[in-house]
Parts: sequence; structure tokens; C-alpha cells
Amino acid sequence: MLQGTLIYGFVNSVILALIALGFNLTFGISGVANFAYGALYIFSAYTAWMLLTWLKINYLISIVIAVLLTSLLGGLIYKFILLRVRGMPISEVIASFGIGLSILEFFRFLGFVGSEYTLPVFIDGSVSIGETYIDIQRLLIVVIGIALVSILYLFTHYTKTGLAFRGMAQEERTALILGINSDKMATFSLAIGSGLAGVAAITILPLGQVAIEGGYSALLNALAVCIVGGLGSTGGILVASVLIGYAQTFTATYIGSHWMMIVSLIAILVILIIKPSGLFGKQKELEERI
Amino acid sequence: MLEVKNLLVFYENALAINDLSLRVEKGQMVGVIGSNSAGKTTLMNTLSGLIIDMKIKEERKGGERITIMGEVIFNGEEITHLEPYDRAKKGMALCRERHPIFPESDVLENLKIAGYLIKRSELKERIDFVFSLFPALVGLKHRRAGFLSGGEQQMLAIGMALMIQPILLLLDEPLLGLSPAIQIKLVDAIKNIQKEMGITTVISEQFARPILPMIDYGYIIENGMLTLTGSGKELMGNPEVRAAYFGV
Repeated sequence: MLQGTLIYGFVNSVILALIALGFNLTFGISGVANFAYGALYIFSAYTAWMLLTWLKINYLISIVIAVLLTSLLGGLIYKFILLRVRGMPISEVIASFGIGLSILEFFRFLGFVGSEYTLPVFIDGSVSIGETYIDIQRLLIVVIGIALVSILYLFTHYTKTGLAFRGMAQEERTALILGINSDKMATFSLAIGSGLAGVAAITILPLGQVAIEGGYSALLNALAVCIVGGLGSTGGILVASVLIGYAQTFTATYIGSHWMMIVSLIAILVILIIKPSGLFGKQKELEERI
Repeated sequence: MLEVKNLLVFYENALAINDLSLRVEKGQMVGVIGSNSAGKTTLMNTLSGLIIDMKIKEERKGGERITIMGEVIFNGEEITHLEPYDRAKKGMALCRERHPIFPESDVLENLKIAGYLIKRSELKERIDFVFSLFPALVGLKHRRAGFLSGGEQQMLAIGMALMIQPILLLLDEPLLGLSPAIQIKLVDAIKNIQKEMGITTVISEQFARPILPMIDYGYIIENGMLTLTGSGKELMGNPEVRAAYFGV
């Protein structure tokens, strides 16, 4: 049982890291805490479902289109709404949360409620690791999660745009006078962050069903990981994902699965009391943003 | 190359720059000398376009109202309301006061980020050029920039400005907070840059003593207004300048 818990705890940690990656990237670069993140996560899943089920488009193509549309939506949200309130943390949070609520409740209004909204797994079947059986989709989540973290690292350290992201995240005015258009970069960061939410949804949600409530829990998990790890710190979110991921899995195994979400809430409360800036975050950022 | 005509800058109702006009010819080194709060940084921010970004951001959040009147002309083109990143594309580089570097990146990454506007194939050559100008940075290339000394950070900041291959280099108080020994080294480096590369340079400073001997032309400003102009030699010989800045 312990071996199984350790393996599933690791998978759960990767799931949390996948969910938080996009939120963290956007915050780290543009300084915008995108509270529409959970809605974008679900938007991507519903879009893929509609393309696959209604338009009968090939699953892989549906995924690509859904992720691209989610990126575009994120970019547009920034360009036409969040840009106007950038630099005003409270307004950013209210505006983005309002947009998120609108998207999620619009799906409810359209009737996207029920258990028929499911996405197929990429590869069916399971393998055994020792005495523990694990389905291939979960292994794929681990592979995709590790691949995404590696790609993001390479992107931010070795590409011109990625380096511009890093510059802007540290000193926006210096970046500006070096020819980097900060509004354009912030729009990119929202688009890429939203695309990452889409990738996370399409990779994770085949394990269950697509539901509006999933948007709220994705946002809560992303917030928990980012607050515990330290907003804007990629290393921090990886450590926080492991801590919360294992805490959730052990809680589900030994106490009850309905307590899993409580773990995220407790993690937020505990870290805010002990170290408000998060494990690897900066006090100033937290004071300004939360 | 650069002309400022009747520039007025207000922060709300406070006048920071008052009807200031100046000219910078190609290849010249021009000094803007003034005490604290004279308006030097506002002038440099206006020349580089940073003030336009500040104005837009303040307007977005309903903050301080910044008003800019007059004209800034660069290479015959009116650029008064152009964003700073567009001015950088035209070859204007500002090195802001207090060592504007990316503190969490190492020296090499700072230079790579600063090379955003140049072609990837030119990046290495340009970085090597900066290291040849500032050999002290070579051994520090993998050190986080935030851990460098003030002088090293200033060298890096100037190196970053040079990465965009500027035709006009704006240096805002490059000697601020540096020890006299480091100031001498940095002044030599600035002279060297101007001499070797022929980059037109505008340098603002409150320390007139190291700056006046190396400039072709100088403007003394106080309370946002021009009070005196002349060549470096003329200003050094002016009794008012000597009394105000040299204490003699």
C-alpha cells in the first residue's frame, strides 16, 4: 500500500505542477495574478470535447486547436481587459476572477452539466510497477509534465523571447529601454500561460470528467502551489507540488478522498502564517500582489 | 543628431523641466550638469522615452498626471511621444541611474537579454566586444549581477546599453554612489567608448569635476531650467561653476 501511495503521490505532484505552471509563468513575467486561469483550463477541455464529439475532428488535431484557442483567448483577455488595469493588483484580481466566473457560468448556462463530458485517454491500458498497477495515462502525465518543465526552462534561458521574459520579470524599465516591448511580452506570457492551462487540462482530465467545478478546483490548486512555493518561482512550485501532492495522496489514502482539497486550503493557511512570501518567493511581491 | 525644443515636463502641477532647449551634434560628448532634483533624470527619461511609458502607466491606474510639451527631434524625426522600445530600435540607448541591471541573472545572461534587438549571429561578437571594453567583467561572467559591486554593476549597465549598438548613448549619473577610484576608472572607460566607437554621448552628472574636462559642450541646469551653457573648457573657467561645483 505504501509503495502505491508513493507512486500515486508522485503522479499527483506532477499533476499539481502541470496545473500551476501556466499560472506561475504569467505571474512571474507580467505580474498579473490571472484568476481566470481555472476557467481557461476548463475552456480548453470543453473546446476539445466539442471539436471531437460534435465536429468529429481527429483527437490530436482537436487538442492542438483547443490549446491554440485557449492561448488566443488568454492573449485577448490581457490585451482588451487586463492591460487596462495592469499595475493595480486588486483590480487585476477582480477583473480576471470576473472573467473566469463569466466563462465558467456561461458553460453552465449552455447546459454543459452532467457526466457525459469526458475526454478519451491518449493510450488505454495499464502497467505494473512492483505490486502497483498504474494506467498509462498517468505515466504520460509524468512524461508530459517533465517535458513541459524542461521545454519551459530551455525556452526561458535560450530563446530571445524567453530571455526577454526573464529580463522583464526582473526589471521592466530596463527591459523597455533595451527595446523590449513590455505590453507585448505580457500578452505573450498570458497567451503561453493560458496555453499551458490548456495542455494541463487535456492531459489530466481524461482521468475523470470535464466539469465546471473542475475550473474552480484547478484555480485553487494552482493558487495553493504558487503561494506555498512562492509566486513567480519555478523551483518553488516544483517543491510545493511535491509537498502538497504527497500530502493530498496520503490524506486520500489514510483519511478519505473528500479531504484532498482541504489539504490545499490548509497548505495556503499554514504557509501564510509561517512564511507569507512562500518557500522561495519574495516578501515584497506577496505584499503587493496578495 | 538630437534637438530638444522648448521642453516642458509637469508632474501634476509641479514643473520638472522648464522651457529647456538643447542640441547634440553627431559624435559629440555633451554634459548635463546639475545638483540633486535639478531635473537631470526627468530630462534623460524624456530623451529616452521612458517618461512616455511612465505617463501611460500612470494614466491607466489614474495616478500622477504627467504632461510633456515641446519637441524632441532625433535624426530629423520628431519622437516626443515615441515609446522607449521604439527609440531603442532607432539606436538610442539609456543607461539609467543606480546601475539598472537584471539582478537575478548572471553577467552573461544580462548581456544576452540586452542583445534582444541584435541578430543572434552577432550576439557573441557583441558580448566579446563589451568584455574587451570592461575586462573586469570577464572573470565575473557567471556571477549573479545583484552580487556585483557598484562599480562592476555600472560597467555592466553601460555594457548592456552598448549591446544594442547605439548611435546615441544617454548616461544618467553613471558616477553616482561610486568611490573616487572607481569613478576615475569609469570616466576613462566612457572616454574610451566615445573615442574608439565615436558614439554620440549625453552624460548627466552632479559631479562636474570629472565630467567637464571630457565633454565637448555642457548645459548646467537648476530647477529644470538652463542656467549656463558652453564648452567644457568655458564652463570649467566660469567662476559661478567653479564656486557651485568645485567649491573654489
